[in-house]
Amino acid sequence: MDKVLRDRRAIAIFILPALLVFSSVVILPIAFSGYYSLLEWNGAGKSTFIGLSNYLEMFTNPSTYFVKGIVNSALLAGLSVFVQIPLALGLALLISHGIRLEGFFRNVYFIPVIISTTVIGQLWMKIYHPNNGMLNILLTDLGLAALKRNWLADPSISLGAAFFVLIWQYIGYHMLLMYSAIKAIPTSLYEAAEIDGCSKSQLSRHIAIPLIMPMIKVCVTFALIGSLKTFDLIYVLTKGGPIHATEVPTTLMFANIFLNYRYGMGSAMAIFILVECLVLTVFVQRFFKVENYEF
Amino acid sequence: MKRFSKIVALLTVVAMTLTMLGGVALAQEKKTLNVWHLWTTESDANAKSFNIVLKEWQALHPDVDVVIDATENEAYKTKLKTAMAANEVPDVFFAWGGGFAKPFVEAGQVLALDDYLADGTMDRLLGGALDNVTYGGKTYGLTFIQWVGTLYCNKEMFDANGVSIPTTNDELLAAVAAFKAKGIVPITVGAKDGWPAMFFQNVYAVRTAGAQLSNEALSGASSFNAPEFVASAKYLDDLVKAGGFDPGALALTYDEAKMPFLAGQVPMIYQGSWLAGEIQDPTLSQVVDKVVAVNWPSLSDGKGDPNEILGGAIDSLMVSNNASDKELAADFVKYITENMSRESFKLGAGIATWKIDMAGIEVSQLVQNIIDFASKSTGAVLAWDTFLSCEAAERHKSLVQEIFAGQLSPENFALEMSKLQ
Amino acid sequence: MNRTKQNVRKIALYAGLILIALVQLFPLYWLFTFSLKDNMQIFTTNPLGLPNPYRFENFADVLQRGQVASFLLNSLLVTTATIAVSTVLSTMAAYAIARMKWKWSNTALLFFLMGMMIPLHATLVPLFIFLKRTNLYDTPFALILPYVAFAIPMAIYIFVGFFKTIPAEMEEAACLDGMSIYGIFVKIMVPLIRPAIATVAIFTYLSCWNELMFAISFISKPQWKTLTVGIMGMVGMYATNWGALGAGLVVATVPTLIIYLLMSGEIQKSFTTGAIKG
Repeated sequence: MDKVLRDRRAIAIFILPALLVFSSVVILPIAFSGYYSLLEWNGAGKSTFIGLSNYLEMFTNPSTYFVKGIVNSALLAGLSVFVQIPLALGLALLISHGIRLEGFFRNVYFIPVIISTTVIGQLWMKIYHPNNGMLNILLTDLGLAALKRNWLADPSISLGAAFFVLIWQYIGYHMLLMYSAIKAIPTSLYEAAEIDGCSKSQLSRHIAIPLIMPMIKVCVTFALIGSLKTFDLIYVLTKGGPIHATEVPTTLMFANIFLNYRYGMGSAMAIFILVECLVLTVFVQRFFKVENYEF
Repeated sequence: MKRFSKIVALLTVVAMTLTMLGGVALAQEKKTLNVWHLWTTESDANAKSFNIVLKEWQALHPDVDVVIDATENEAYKTKLKTAMAANEVPDVFFAWGGGFAKPFVEAGQVLALDDYLADGTMDRLLGGALDNVTYGGKTYGLTFIQWVGTLYCNKEMFDANGVSIPTTNDELLAAVAAFKAKGIVPITVGAKDGWPAMFFQNVYAVRTAGAQLSNEALSGASSFNAPEFVASAKYLDDLVKAGGFDPGALALTYDEAKMPFLAGQVPMIYQGSWLAGEIQDPTLSQVVDKVVAVNWPSLSDGKGDPNEILGGAIDSLMVSNNASDKELAADFVKYITENMSRESFKLGAGIATWKIDMAGIEVSQLVQNIIDFASKSTGAVLAWDTFLSCEAAERHKSLVQEIFAGQLSPENFALEMSKLQ
Repeated sequence: MNRTKQNVRKIALYAGLILIALVQLFPLYWLFTFSLKDNMQIFTTNPLGLPNPYRFENFADVLQRGQVASFLLNSLLVTTATIAVSTVLSTMAAYAIARMKWKWSNTALLFFLMGMMIPLHATLVPLFIFLKRTNLYDTPFALILPYVAFAIPMAIYIFVGFFKTIPAEMEEAACLDGMSIYGIFVKIMVPLIRPAIATVAIFTYLSCWNELMFAISFISKPQWKTLTVGIMGMVGMYATNWGALGAGLVVATVPTLIIYLLMSGEIQKSFTTGAIKG
């Protein structure tokens, strides 16, 4: 068996096709971006080599807003890991065992992920609308008119308002991943524990959660990467505004490449995002040094 | 799973075959002209007029296959800049003059049209038509329409509340106070998009500094850090503080913000002349024939002539320096822009930049209002974001948004603007 | 006594679940109602309620644009090809990484994972140049190739996780029966991760179907444009018929719902038949 699994030719046959496509279409372009990041280039015509100046500028010049963007995305990453994933895990545990209409709940909870970000963004713009938005109308009806806000126009709360939508939209995504991992746990394990008189919550804590740790690791990784390079929804909801309150690294990268004609600076931001994600992912892999449970 | 993979395989084969058939049918031996523009929907007057004129041109050139690629405004900018960075622009493309096209021209990607305009074409263009597409003394594009900054006032709401249409800034502030007292938002603005908010500071600068000084400062010949530009920000700041705008305006896009005006809930909006067509379209608007258009109110202490306007000719078609048939592409651009000038004018998109035959053209009263005050104009300033280089333009819009948020003093606005020069 | 307490608990649980379900269904309700309104209702008079009056002509507007069928076909072609190719490539690579024994397997995983960390916008210009040089620009491959490449990382990462949970005895038994490594992969291992394949297929489907930036930039000819691009083409420079745009978005979302329910059924079935049992 061991010999079969060490067959180099088989390994090459399995891995090379994916590697080839991936390297030429993903790695090659980002290598180009790495080169562009060392240039002062307006995206057309001649460029000048300026070394690491772009990297230096994005951290030292406050009018790039890059540091603010990183802080914002780090906040989002924290919320994803400590709020979104626990909620998703809770839902996954709730609907995976002994619930009527299990399939219905699973399908419905996933719906916000299915709907395109454009639609989700437009919907929340209507909900948050200062005058005829559902949220402010609801607050008035409940006699809480004092809590009414210009949710997306007030720089002090727009970040929270935008992140709330992001966290909400992807709960179903993580729920589905963890749900399928819970479903992959052999039922015999549960049956044995039930005979031993374990309650439902004990089953979750002592059997399900440890067994799906590898999937929780996957979710945490996805949530971190997704938060650090979040773009679409922020762009629809706030465009990074009002007055830069909701900028994240990718909105700034986009603005530099396609609005400001600073292709080099935008590329430098892209490279930084990549490195940041890479470092955090390695860290997560170390942190979750979980054994793979053999059933 | 098996059933699923069968479905996938079947769908792939069917779709592949059908699309390939489509591709084969279209391949013919013809000259092709690739054209990129951003007029995606017929609700835009310019889209309508482009399609009319395109049909005429195609009838005259049956041997040419015109491949049109229309992309929505925001995405268009990304797409065109990507093609520019890759040095792969199509034969003919839409671009804004001023700061937008400048890097492309400087990179040598745009064809200078002067040689193709010497055939008498120049004489058919109105003065100033090419100001914003001329770089280093050469012409790189042709415009077709000039837009005009317009204060649209809902006459019915003004009358019902006993307010008169403002001609001076004091009257404007009085109108704001009167509407606000009745719980009506006086002016609607989509400040989230930046440019609609920017218009207000820009047009105040036309009044405080005048067109000449504004244009000098924009081109870098004089500083923005001058009392006139401080005053422009101060007037806007006062208007914001007087409650002229919806306090949630920074969260509203242009599309959202114009709706309460079209619904007859807000009495004023300051926008380009392109809005006139929509106001007069009964399927989109509930204020048809209820709106009057005036120039921005005058100031008692302004240096600018009160007849000057915010606006100009900036939308244009350009030809790639790599175009396969430059002569043909230039001919296309000449024909399309000249005739679009007439058709777009008819539809109320703005003022023609070509000398067109006005006989038999009837426009709505609203459009006539705009023509009337625009024709009295003694000077014009482009929206600053189209004139400035792109990075400065983005920063400029963001600074005006800070005024709307009440977080930037007029003095600091002028100072920050001068840093961009 | 105990029983009533249990019942109260149960009712509370279901009430909670249903409440969440209503919240999650709200976007779908909103999308459908939005598609039947005009601009005035959407923006000022009635942004969230039921349409009044119902404007079915919004759907007529969309369908009259003529090319909807061709756009839909292109989207189907690109998406199904992407799912098929990326599934094959990534199950193979994931198997080699998760089960086979070689020095660089962890590094390879991290290398592939990098694909998820790359901000897409930064690759736009280099990819555009690449596709122009290879003459793939303006063909369906201009989309399929990048979509496959960007789908591979997530797929590999999830498949590796699933492959690792499979007990070694299954491979050993097959190996003793004289099956080759390729046979083990195709006949034993792939069927065991069917739920994962269906899950990943859903995610891949969603990212291709709704993708806009590549689809706008790498396709210029109208005959190859995808549905999302066609629908975004209804957004005008200064004026947009939002109701018709909503109708277009409904047209784009219905296939997604159908495919999601099909795939989801596939996941469910594999659980009930007990694909993975210890």
